[in-house]
Amino acid sequence: MIDFIRRSGRSGLDFCAAVGRASIFLLRAIVGLSLSGKGLKLLARQIYRVGVLSLIIIIVSGLFIGMVLGLQGYSILVDYGSEQAVGQMVALTLVRELGPVVTALLFAGRAGSALTAEIGLMKATEQLSSMEMMGVDPLKRVIAPRFWAGFISMPILAAIFSMVGIFGGMLISVDWLGVYDGAFWSNMQKAVEFNNDVINGMIKAVVFGWVCTWIAVFQGYDLVPTSEGISAATTKTVVYSSLSVLGLDFLLTAVMFGGI
Amino acid sequence: MGPSGIGKTTLLKLIGGQLRPDSGRVLVGGLDFQRLSRKQLFDARAKMGMLFQSGALFSDLTVFENIAFPLRAHTQLPDEMIRDIVVMKLNAVGLRGARNLMPSELSGGMTRRVALARTIALDPDLIMYDEPFAGQDPIAMGVLVQLIRLLNDALGLTSVLVSHDISEALSICDHAIIIADGRVIGAGAPSELKAMDSPLVNQFINGLPDGPVPFHFPAGDYAQDLLTNR
Repeated sequence: MIDFIRRSGRSGLDFCAAVGRASIFLLRAIVGLSLSGKGLKLLARQIYRVGVLSLIIIIVSGLFIGMVLGLQGYSILVDYGSEQAVGQMVALTLVRELGPVVTALLFAGRAGSALTAEIGLMKATEQLSSMEMMGVDPLKRVIAPRFWAGFISMPILAAIFSMVGIFGGMLISVDWLGVYDGAFWSNMQKAVEFNNDVINGMIKAVVFGWVCTWIAVFQGYDLVPTSEGISAATTKTVVYSSLSVLGLDFLLTAVMFGGI
Repeated sequence: MGPSGIGKTTLLKLIGGQLRPDSGRVLVGGLDFQRLSRKQLFDARAKMGMLFQSGALFSDLTVFENIAFPLRAHTQLPDEMIRDIVVMKLNAVGLRGARNLMPSELSGGMTRRVALARTIALDPDLIMYDEPFAGQDPIAMGVLVQLIRLLNDALGLTSVLVSHDISEALSICDHAIIIADGRVIGAGAPSELKAMDSPLVNQFINGLPDGPVPFHFPAGDYAQDLLTNR
């Protein structure tokens, strides 16, 4: 019994210490971005690696999810004779929920795990240490560009996801199932409000991008520098990111659309 | 020098300010590293170099870019001048021809020589070597031994070398310190150390398997151990 209390106390303390380390780390990463020519070049390189290279998975997934939404929406709505509403259904689902959430989940799997593994391997091979000993702060040189790249890329990826998804929904419902395209677009235009839906969806994407990249770079920087440590940290990145995205999505939805 | 696991690398990390001592102070060049701000600490480190056991080259950069890295980070020199400095540093370690290779294409000895060139890129006052001879073949080891001494004299450096390759370390050092059990057990010029009559120093320098540092990990009586589990 005493042992149990002791162990839970220890893990509680460890957890608090990790949260503290992660917060200081985050703060340094945020202020660590240099806006000189050299710093912007590093940032652009990371945006390419984190954002541009994630485009394929985002576009393909977006297309298929939009197509599935078109199919499902049509088959339900057609029973009530309101298949013209499929446009607004697809758009609202994507812009409010699936765009930011699915993009964040894919982003955590594609870019987050890569960030963790890369930084972790740099730590394991003493590259971060040697950078420190050269008088170059790895938080500024390695972490800050990666953090900002993820933070900037996520909302853009989410927007692209939603756009491609709506296109996919249109392909199915208008071109294949024969919904009248005037009704498809005008219903969508009427139902989707910029302030309410698009902005709120973007806020979600920004928050998720922040959380996913933070978890990814911190797990990489804080891991135990062995092969088991790297694999454990990569797994943690994906698990923690996915759980936080889903949990935060509920909270944000409750605040934005739940009338709290 | 000292047996493995005694804290030699930890000592280097304390000097470099990568670890904080639980008690006491570490003064480097008159600066108390524990009292410096993060920025001051990083500025102070630009004047010291450390050669890591693994070499710790940046695996995504070529040999040339690895050596240019500290120069680009700390100076505003134009590209042509950086190129000249890099070529000179590489020539000093005999690897001018390898400048376009990636670190994964280098042998262990070459990796350490490139790392050495990178360490001297900023002309530091102090270089710390962490086990520079570990795992090297005899030729690479001979090259490194010579290079370390040569660079030290040519550049007027202070070199701190951590090693348990006794003959190599003693052949190039001016002053050696042996630590064991968390304290200094012998210090002095190599010839003084060899003449010392402390059994512990004697065991370490001559590489004797048994002595004050026992061959056996502490355990109970051997005969008892074999008989009890019957």
